[in-house]
Amino acid sequence: MNLGLTLLQPQAARRYRLRRVLTEAGSVMLGVVLAGWSLLPVYNMLLIALDPEEGEIEFAGNLWTPEPSLDGFIETVMQEARYLEDFWSQFENSVYIGLLTMVLTVLIGSLASFAVSRMRLGKGSLLTNAALLTYAIPASFLIVPYYSIMHSYGLSNSLWAVIAAQVTFASPFAILIMQLYARLIPGELDDAARIDGASAVQLYLRIYLPLMTPALAVVAIYALLLAWNDYLYPAVLLSPRNATVSVVQGQLFYDNDAPWNAMMAAAIIYVLPPLAVLFALRRYVAASLTMVGPRV
Amino acid sequence: MTTLTRRSLLRSSLALTAVGAIARPYVANAAATTATVWWVQGFAQEEDVAFKKIVADYEKASGNTIDYSIAPYAPMRQKIVSAVTGGVVPDMFQNTPAEIIALYAWDDKLVDVSDVVETQREEFTETALLTVRCYNNVEKKRSFYGVPYTVGASMNHIWRPLVEKAGYQMSDIPKTWDPYYDFFKDVQKKLRAQGMRNVYGLGFQMNTAGNDSNARANDFLIAYGGEDIVTKDGKLHLDDPKVRKAAIEMLTYPTTAYKEGFVPPGAINWNDADDNNAFHAKQIVMDIERSLSTEVAIIKNEQDYNDIVTMGLPLSNDGKPVPVEQGSLCGLIPKGAKNVAVAKDFLRYLIQPQILNELLKTGLGRNLPAMPAIVKNDPWWLDPKDPHRVTYVRQGLFGPTVPTFWTSNPAYAQVQNEHVWQTAWAEIMKDGAAPQVAAEKAFKRVEEIFAKYPIAQG
Amino acid sequence: MHGSDFAWSVAFAVPYAAVFCAFVVYPIAYALWIAARPSLYADLIADRLYLPTVVNTLVFVGLGVNVKMFLALLLSGFFMRRRWWIKALLGIYILPWVLAAVQTCISFHWMLIGEQGLVDGLLAALFGIDGPIWFNNRWLGLGSNIVAYVWKWMPFWTVIFLAARMTIPRDIYEAAEIDGATGPRSFVHVTFPMLANLYLICILVSTLWTLGEFTTVYLVSGGGPAGSTEVLATLGFRYAFDANRPELGIAAVMSALPVLIPIVIVLMRRAQASEVQL
Repeated sequence: MNLGLTLLQPQAARRYRLRRVLTEAGSVMLGVVLAGWSLLPVYNMLLIALDPEEGEIEFAGNLWTPEPSLDGFIETVMQEARYLEDFWSQFENSVYIGLLTMVLTVLIGSLASFAVSRMRLGKGSLLTNAALLTYAIPASFLIVPYYSIMHSYGLSNSLWAVIAAQVTFASPFAILIMQLYARLIPGELDDAARIDGASAVQLYLRIYLPLMTPALAVVAIYALLLAWNDYLYPAVLLSPRNATVSVVQGQLFYDNDAPWNAMMAAAIIYVLPPLAVLFALRRYVAASLTMVGPRV
Repeated sequence: MTTLTRRSLLRSSLALTAVGAIARPYVANAAATTATVWWVQGFAQEEDVAFKKIVADYEKASGNTIDYSIAPYAPMRQKIVSAVTGGVVPDMFQNTPAEIIALYAWDDKLVDVSDVVETQREEFTETALLTVRCYNNVEKKRSFYGVPYTVGASMNHIWRPLVEKAGYQMSDIPKTWDPYYDFFKDVQKKLRAQGMRNVYGLGFQMNTAGNDSNARANDFLIAYGGEDIVTKDGKLHLDDPKVRKAAIEMLTYPTTAYKEGFVPPGAINWNDADDNNAFHAKQIVMDIERSLSTEVAIIKNEQDYNDIVTMGLPLSNDGKPVPVEQGSLCGLIPKGAKNVAVAKDFLRYLIQPQILNELLKTGLGRNLPAMPAIVKNDPWWLDPKDPHRVTYVRQGLFGPTVPTFWTSNPAYAQVQNEHVWQTAWAEIMKDGAAPQVAAEKAFKRVEEIFAKYPIAQG
Repeated sequence: MHGSDFAWSVAFAVPYAAVFCAFVVYPIAYALWIAARPSLYADLIADRLYLPTVVNTLVFVGLGVNVKMFLALLLSGFFMRRRWWIKALLGIYILPWVLAAVQTCISFHWMLIGEQGLVDGLLAALFGIDGPIWFNNRWLGLGSNIVAYVWKWMPFWTVIFLAARMTIPRDIYEAAEIDGATGPRSFVHVTFPMLANLYLICILVSTLWTLGEFTTVYLVSGGGPAGSTEVLATLGFRYAFDANRPELGIAAVMSALPVLIPIVIVLMRRAQASEVQL
């Protein structure tokens, strides 16, 4: 507690403690609701994944698997399930595309937003405005021209075609977010650093990046997930030999008889790497126990 | 022309009589080149294995290279749209989804492949040939724009244990259309009386998305006598009283069954996978599908696999066999392909009966060949040890068939994409409209769509 | 600005400019060119589904975006609390965002498929009531789509606001505390003014993105019953890839241009807004 409490009257102190208890209880209840809300559809996925063969769970009205089996998971890992025969090589492609998209987006986005917002590049707003135009037409409807230009650039069936496309769609948001977050930090800091003789590169590396770590973490995860889970662009721009796992999952759009248990198991396995990245970056996006910020 | 026919006759008979016949490609110049082929991933792994082997054999025999990509169905659809719209096309792909042959032929986006089809013309069924004979609206002519190799047919799939639990035998099922499906209403009543709350007799797909419901509407339309709704010349015959009557009956029977509670209430919004799932969960006693995927999906469960009975379509209400609406899977060569010659050569190789037979047999017979002779000459197809396949063959190759309506006129493809008939169903089932009224609305829309696709006659 | 500084800032901006020129200009121009035929829009209006779809899009986007964003802002405050279990909860809370959209939407579809689904099963087991068949009714279907959409994307925006709060320097909060602003007052007088611009921009960007979101509606309600829960993005997707008419697909989404353009303009202006004065 703090000094202020000891100066209050006993009833006020009791009221204060009661309020704290209620707030705690309210928090816990909210936490339970949030956990249940988030997990229910995931539980459903798990139910389907634990099915010994497809068809028992999705339509049978069961609340838990009558005969749980790890067949779905085993088939996926051993690459025996239909459509998942190349699971691990597709997984590798997903990792390659995901990591490169993440790194490139963070790099290109932070450089551009640093130039525009910190360095106050004159016509910089032109660049960021143009960037926002990227979102004027939903990405799914731009696949046809993207297919043509990738062919013109000689990137047909190349992983780089997909990386380029994902970076293109992630960067405008990255730039926007970094600009907005940067405005939450007073600008005197780097003016002070400049008086001391810091060059642009030093400003970028020593002042800007460290201050923007939450933004960078958020942008990194956003770009990773965009590339990791996207179906349409890898599906069309890549050949089946270097497809990603998300392409196979998109098959479910049309399929009558996919091996549902393996598909759901694959989705559960597929979520682990991004979760690992998130876990590694948690310091920057979650309130640590010794964090900065208001006391609540 | 005569030399080609004689030559192809000679080669076909050679192929059929000799085991391991000499399969020789037809490319005149021996310059070895590469063709890009997009192939849809099969339902079972064996189908892909079969395809790869055929490609390897072809490459060895011809010296050409086939750069193939085997992609699942969904990405293949989007790839094809992107490729054809953007103009960066492979040398050969299949009609995924089926209607694109009619739509792209209309827009003059496909290469005429009559010369390839001619090499095996006598082998194909008439319907198979009709399924690839589409109208080109730029050149104003009808020609062969695809090379067919497999066909399908609608089949009824029934859980024998459920029928028997209701106290009936499979032999009790009536033979004509309406009584056949009414039988399952009885089965439902008997099963409900025994306490099975969640079972429904009829698994009709009545939704307005996906392909199954289109197939159902067409099946029922033909059963009630409406197969002339679109004739081979591409003309719409909604003014024919026989067709109109059939259409109204098609709109009435399934919706009445739904309203009476014999079709699961969710069927109005199932997607293409849900009816299969409902069937596997034994929520419905029977299901109609145009393939054997219902059985094959659970082939690992031998008990269930044998418990499903596959039956052909029942006779019409007048006791006559009902033609099955049949489409074919075919190879298409887009305009702008870089290596049309090798693509054609590969297709010529593929449709030689013994090669096609090998392809389909190695693929576990999931798909029917478009050539009856194959089935007649190879006892494997009619081996009674697998009753599912035998029924499928009988229905698809020996029964009466009509080509899919949209091959005669791509307007019908738009009718299907807009789900005009299914919208009418929905109006009857949900909004309580009278079948007559919903029918008039549907007829009007169909006529509007056909007006946009005029086909010059002559 | 000094000469060398200027050179550096140009150098920093070049990578993105290159990406833009190589990968944005042509595709957007192509899409606009393809969608510029008036006959396409006549075809659209003639489709009986078009007008209800526009209504659905307004509801889906309007409710989806605003409910999601508002709750995300509130929950970002919740996740700022320093408890170990709240940190752990964050990991669970973001699962919807991290999992692949196709599978989660299919999971929703089967959860709500009627008596066979998990939701109705739970309702029957816990409360003994017979749940409705969610997709047989237009509004229940639309609601299901919105719930699935909020479920998936609310965590993302929560994290955006959370990271923004973490960027606000501690000094500002401390200065305000000295002035007597704690708890809810801190939110109203310190946090919210700083986040207001961000909040507005997030709403605008999310609106643009949601207009193009087809996976949710396509897989959860399937657009049914009878196409009554379609949105422009799914209608466009069906035209483009199911009916093989990509021009019509793009036109369907472009028909939202009267709404899209003002949003993009406001977005561009707000993105340049000057720093917040407290």
